[in-house]
Amino acid sequence: MKKYPKIVEKKGKRYFYRFSLHQRIQHIVLFTATITLALTGFPLRYHDAWWAPYLYNFFGGIDVAPKIHRTAGSIVLALFVYHTCYFLYLFFNTRVRRLREEGRATPFNIIKEFLSQEMIPNKRDLFDIINYFKYLLYWTNKKPKFERMSWKEKFDYFAPYWGIPVLGPAGAILWWRDEVSHYLPGIVLNAAYIMHTDEALLAVMFLFFVHWYNVHYAPEKFPMGMVFLTGYLSEDEMIHEHYGEYERVMKEEGLEKEIRPQH
Amino acid sequence: MQEGFNKSRFLVILLLGAVLFAGLVVYAKTASASDDLNCLLCHKYRGLSRINKDGRFRLFYINERVFRGSPHAKVKCNDCHRDINVIPHEPAKKVNCTVECHIIEPSGQKRFSHQPIEDILSTSVHSKYDKNGKLKKYSEDYPWCKDCHEQPLYRPLSFFKGIRPGVSKRALGRCKTCHRTGRFADIFYTHVTSRLQKTRKSKEIVEICAKCHGRKDFQKRHGLDDVVTSYKETFHGKAVDYGSVRAPDCVDCHVVKGENVHFIEGKKSATSAVYPLNVSRTCRAEECHVNAGEKLASYQVHVTYDKDKYPLEYYMLWFFKFLTAGVMYFFLILIFLELLRRLIPNFAIRREPVLSESEIYEKDGLILDISEIEE
Repeated sequence: MKKYPKIVEKKGKRYFYRFSLHQRIQHIVLFTATITLALTGFPLRYHDAWWAPYLYNFFGGIDVAPKIHRTAGSIVLALFVYHTCYFLYLFFNTRVRRLREEGRATPFNIIKEFLSQEMIPNKRDLFDIINYFKYLLYWTNKKPKFERMSWKEKFDYFAPYWGIPVLGPAGAILWWRDEVSHYLPGIVLNAAYIMHTDEALLAVMFLFFVHWYNVHYAPEKFPMGMVFLTGYLSEDEMIHEHYGEYERVMKEEGLEKEIRPQH
Repeated sequence: MQEGFNKSRFLVILLLGAVLFAGLVVYAKTASASDDLNCLLCHKYRGLSRINKDGRFRLFYINERVFRGSPHAKVKCNDCHRDINVIPHEPAKKVNCTVECHIIEPSGQKRFSHQPIEDILSTSVHSKYDKNGKLKKYSEDYPWCKDCHEQPLYRPLSFFKGIRPGVSKRALGRCKTCHRTGRFADIFYTHVTSRLQKTRKSKEIVEICAKCHGRKDFQKRHGLDDVVTSYKETFHGKAVDYGSVRAPDCVDCHVVKGENVHFIEGKKSATSAVYPLNVSRTCRAEECHVNAGEKLASYQVHVTYDKDKYPLEYYMLWFFKFLTAGVMYFFLILIFLELLRRLIPNFAIRREPVLSESEIYEKDGLILDISEIEE
């Protein structure tokens, strides 16, 4: 696995490592397929809207757009499986292997190790949320020092882990409705229809308003943050979003004296 | 110079005259065709209209080109408008579609009438009479020929598309080898081939049914659900809306395959296409869900999100409404507060010294004692 330097300097500015090329490619595949799904799915949900026929016809209308939609859906489902395997591979290949080498690979230790991964929500996130709201509501002037993955990013990450298992199988049931009807009653299609369209609405609204605010619309990000392309976050963004990690990495790299105050 | 000018002017006038004459000849020929009673003497005028006593605008203009392309092209005006025998005439009475006209039905050599359709309609759910022959309540709501077959809808689809479906000039040529007289071959061939496929767009069928079934007052009077809205919310309805020719309209599911389209029965009738025991057969028809299992029948097409009728859909809908509203309100409030905090950054109720070095959290970053923060 390629080792990425934690800090790189370019034109006198520091950049902090966040995502490997492999992870960035997964993200690009995910958002390309998701945007395609939204563009080919919502004209069907809101078929009465004035814009719907234009958009739907752009994707080939009723004969072609569903095929594009199903292809994109299959890609997202495949990516979901791939990413889960990748996540588990990383976990077993690094943490569990280390435990084995140390002779401590008991089920309890493995579970504990699993829960201590940076993406897994933990007790600290709960206090981060409480302290963050205290800060936002002017109770204190002290902002929590978010670590490598803040609670917001964990929510962003686990949203597809809720959304895809709801949307994907429901979409597959609607796709393979004739085959499914040999095993399941037809009312399952009614349930799948609601699950698919309503969860899609939630997912798209969340991505458009919340995720895109975090990475596009926010004043310091506009028009867009570059981390999804470069894999590195600028020093200002690190201080603003991950001050805990910023301090830790600066210390690890022997740059304690150059740590800038939180803002 | 002067001579040349006169010559060219003469030529222009000659040409104009020729065009005008040709136009007049064509117009006169068109205007007089297939109108033995000379009704077009007045009805050819585009502005022929009046406003009824009830304030309704009535247009009496007949577009001959349209009429000649319609299924009634061979029918004389007073075959239907029987009360009109002199010109000028009194306001015409309503047309009765079941009267016999002057067309001879070729297979039985009898005069043609739409009476058989009326007979079928009277046994369907749309009959004005109940089983005992008594007028139903709100009988005026039940459809009559023109409620569905209203102009311009009685015209075949080919008129709208500018082509004649199923008509091949090469095939027609074979007919014309023997059937040479008049337009017989054209009319007969079109008559047969247009009936081999759908003559109306599915969207039109839905619109026709929606004329009554989509009205709130009508639904209330007859105790019916809003089946039009619920149908439009299904994939079938949406596909039809986008012009799909494969997705089913109302008639495809509510008429038993092979039956006349006017024979629509209520879902309580045991022979109805939508009777619970027959739904599976209807859904799994040849050109529909032919590979589906019998369990498909429990799919609910006309879901109205009524708590008692459709509890599963009702509670699922509410679950997703709450989930969506909960998540979105939480994050939108958060974004609002974040922006506000940027706008007014220096105010705080409790001011604490901001440490430059992080020692607040324990090193493993997992276990946190809130009291440490408070200190």
